[in-house]
Amino acid sequence: MMMLLVFASQFYVSVTIAHISESEASLTLTSAEGAVGSAYQAVVRAEEAGANVSGLLVRLNGAGELLAKAKVAYRCENFDEVVRSACLSFEIAESVKNEADELRVEAYGSRVAGFWFSLTGSLIGVVAVGFGSFRGWHFFKRRYYKRVFGMKLEVRPDES
Amino acid sequence: MNLEEYRTVFAAGSLVMMLIVAAPTLGLIVPFPREMERFSEFWVLGPNHRAEDYPLNVRVNESYSVFVGVSNHLVSSSYYLIYVKFRNQTQPLPNVIASEPSPLPPLYEFRALVANDGTWEAPLKFRVLEVSYNDDSMFIDRLSINDVVFVVNASARWDLEYKGFYFQLFLELWLHDVASQSFRFHNRFVGIWLNMTT
Repeated sequence: MMMLLVFASQFYVSVTIAHISESEASLTLTSAEGAVGSAYQAVVRAEEAGANVSGLLVRLNGAGELLAKAKVAYRCENFDEVVRSACLSFEIAESVKNEADELRVEAYGSRVAGFWFSLTGSLIGVVAVGFGSFRGWHFFKRRYYKRVFGMKLEVRPDES
Repeated sequence: MNLEEYRTVFAAGSLVMMLIVAAPTLGLIVPFPREMERFSEFWVLGPNHRAEDYPLNVRVNESYSVFVGVSNHLVSSSYYLIYVKFRNQTQPLPNVIASEPSPLPPLYEFRALVANDGTWEAPLKFRVLEVSYNDDSMFIDRLSINDVVFVVNASARWDLEYKGFYFQLFLELWLHDVASQSFRFHNRFVGIWLNMTT
């Protein structure tokens, strides 16, 4: 991807020097299209990992708009505009992709930490409930026997 | 109640309490499938953001505008491509039954990345720049969409039933497929009829 960026940047610089050929414009357009697609995939993966990707989506939308502009310019054979828009789109998409990858790793880390925290809490809770129930049952049983054995037999005279 | 029955009640109560305490972790381990309907909404609104006042009788060199919108209910963020195409009454529309887009080449396009349950909307301004007549036919040579000029070379014959030269500006919705890394027709299209008047 870095190589493509360098390659595309050369076209971008050359805009000011000379007109761009159709094949050069096409190549830059393909690179930008691939970059936006990869960035979208990275954003979806980060979203699946539980990251907040709303900011990235806004920026990627900007890259998408520029890519659409480049595609329209290509159909109109305005190759200078193709390269200008496609290169900007490529740069935004690449930075979004890198940030999405970082966010995914962060989100995954906090998800794992959250899982262990929850698991530890649940285990402690289950053991505490089990121990409490066991002690409670023995306390209850003692009181029950005390109550039963403490009973006195009462003999009533036959009233008949 | 005898002691055996008390023991059963105690054991059941303890088990319920244990399940309540373990519920947050169980929720992370056991997947609970949520059945949700997945779909995308696609629309064109008139110049006042309402489903009314759509441009119909169109004049040369006059500017008209509508709004294109997409709403994503596909459970995750989606990457949409919207093709703007132009046709006369005899040229093909997309085939929704066969899930095939129109074979006509796109003129303009929009790309939108929409969050789950999010909405995207953009203006679509158009202007017919150049027309010519020949007997009972009208030719539209150039059309401007969002200030980009396209050579369309579209023709329409006089419609005896509806009394006009009818063209259609229609939009197709495509969706990016992560697995194949390409866009596929999302089986949705909308359009507005335009009657070219002098």
